[in-house]
Amino acid sequence: MKAQSKLYFYMIISTILLAIIAVWSVDTGVYDFGGQSAFEVLGKVIKGDPDLSLSDRYVVWDVRAARIIMAMLIGSMLAVSGTSLQGLFKNPLATGDLIGLTSGATLLAAIAIVLGGHFKEYLPEAIQFSLVGISAFIGSLLSMMLVYRISTSGGKTNVVMMLLTGVAITAIGFSITGFLIYISKDEQLRDLTFWNLGSLAAATWTKNIILAIVLVVAYIILLPKGKALNAMMLGEKDAQHLGINVEKLKKQIIIIVALMVGSCVAFSGTIGFVGLIVPYILRLLFKSNYVFILPLSAVCGSILLLTADTFSRSMVAPSELPIGILTALMGGPIFIAILVKFKKSL
Amino acid sequence: MKKFILAASVLVAVYSCKKTESATKENTTETTSETPKSNNKIVTLSGGITEIVSALGHEKEIVGTDVTSTYPASLKTTAKDLGHVRSMTIEPIMAVNPTLILASDKDINPELLGKIKSSGIKAEVFHQEYTVEGTKKLIADVAKAIGNTEYQKLTDKIDADLKQVQPLSKKPKVLFIYARGNMLMVAGKNTPMASLINLAGGENAVNDFEDFKPLTPEAVIKANPDVLFFFETGLQGAGGNEGALKMPGVSQTNAGKNKKIIAMDGGLVSGFGPRVGEAAVGLNKLLVESTK
Repeated sequence: MKAQSKLYFYMIISTILLAIIAVWSVDTGVYDFGGQSAFEVLGKVIKGDPDLSLSDRYVVWDVRAARIIMAMLIGSMLAVSGTSLQGLFKNPLATGDLIGLTSGATLLAAIAIVLGGHFKEYLPEAIQFSLVGISAFIGSLLSMMLVYRISTSGGKTNVVMMLLTGVAITAIGFSITGFLIYISKDEQLRDLTFWNLGSLAAATWTKNIILAIVLVVAYIILLPKGKALNAMMLGEKDAQHLGINVEKLKKQIIIIVALMVGSCVAFSGTIGFVGLIVPYILRLLFKSNYVFILPLSAVCGSILLLTADTFSRSMVAPSELPIGILTALMGGPIFIAILVKFKKSL
Repeated sequence: MKKFILAASVLVAVYSCKKTESATKENTTETTSETPKSNNKIVTLSGGITEIVSALGHEKEIVGTDVTSTYPASLKTTAKDLGHVRSMTIEPIMAVNPTLILASDKDINPELLGKIKSSGIKAEVFHQEYTVEGTKKLIADVAKAIGNTEYQKLTDKIDADLKQVQPLSKKPKVLFIYARGNMLMVAGKNTPMASLINLAGGENAVNDFEDFKPLTPEAVIKANPDVLFFFETGLQGAGGNEGALKMPGVSQTNAGKNKKIIAMDGGLVSGFGPRVGEAAVGLNKLLVESTK
């Protein structure tokens, strides 16, 4: 029970921190609300003030608030997917980016962007609308299955094999995306390159609703798995003895992570390293206790991505930095730190 | 940042004073045929459109432009540079409080277009064709959007300029190279450059693909251009004439052997706005000189 209240304490602290950052982010931007602060305007939007100008309403609600929520949703899902994979594979290097999920999702999304025009009209309307998203999900699921098949034999996952498979998938993804770049038009090319580094600029409430549904479904299944993941640390056999259905657990995590990474890539492009940075920091604080780090990574992922996005859109205003540049800048050193720390066990 | 906040708040203050006035004027533009200068606050997101709006005498109404809007140069001090349309986001556009956004369909990012549409600001997206007729239509369309009917003089000027194009005895094959950093692209069919080269009496050297493609040595040798054509900034970036001659394959071509390299201002060449005639005459002169 003591551990439980400790978890609540950290959850509350980090949620408050997230709220503070969100407030700072709402007030950050180049648009001027004519003497009012962004909060006043936001308050009026929520109250439904009829005197509020359409432009003010649009900027604070449809541009900034939508983007802030999207940063939180995507940051949270990327961090949780990293944490879950690391628990499943018992290795701190297992993240969606490094084992090729992001690359697989990116590849199929890129195919949908460049070639989608040729076959879109033959598809049902509901699929047309979310073609890029569905492709990204299939891409990440296929990569996940491939990585799992290649790196696992006799119920044991070889981490080096897993990372190398990730390298191979990333290479294949890179080359095919390169080919797509070659055959794409100038405009598509700019979209692809910009999109490869990730951006939350295209956030809308519709996308947020879709992401929120994915998040809720995923978290209902994943977040209570902390104990099971802790048991997995002992090895699959021991976990089985403790009454955990290891095969079922693996399947669930794999499918849910693919769904989360796929939908994040579809809406924001490739934002790397979030799934590496957040669990790494949490593990420094709480060791590998998944009862703690799984729910906390859901909140801390939001904190990280929201902070990065607020910087990305204010550092070089009125233009903005692709957010993937910032997260990679933070993630690179942490990657090296993990490598150094686990030098012997890899 | 502080300066910008100051500028933005001044703009807001000025705008709020003029708000009622502009609303009444906008209503009258539809009923009267003679159009006084409206009080639009315009954001133009394409170099060609910016030139048209300015040439129609509405330069002062432009409050924001994209990075390709380099002419007239005075705009750099009066209008905010919003960056490249591909990486632009909606908030900086809204920060200049425009009443009208004018863009071209050729380069606007679909996400941004969606955001512009849902922002509620009046916006017009024009289809741009890289021909003289297309330019004239664009001028008419833009003029209509900003409520000015006096555009005939602009289209007449294009015709007058084009009459100065001297016929060339032998059409030189011109290869346009778009050089930016390490990326070298050549212009195929249906590009503004190919169209301008034809207008100026030359022949585009590559016609087996559309748009821009990366440059390969073999393709350059196969195209065997008589003249290499660059943007001035591109040629500088590529190391001037010497750098251009060292590009893979170039030395094997007629252009390389005879050191025929020309360069023009990028905005003038690719804008396909009111200065299209001027651009064609300029290129024609360079071609005449280089074929002597």
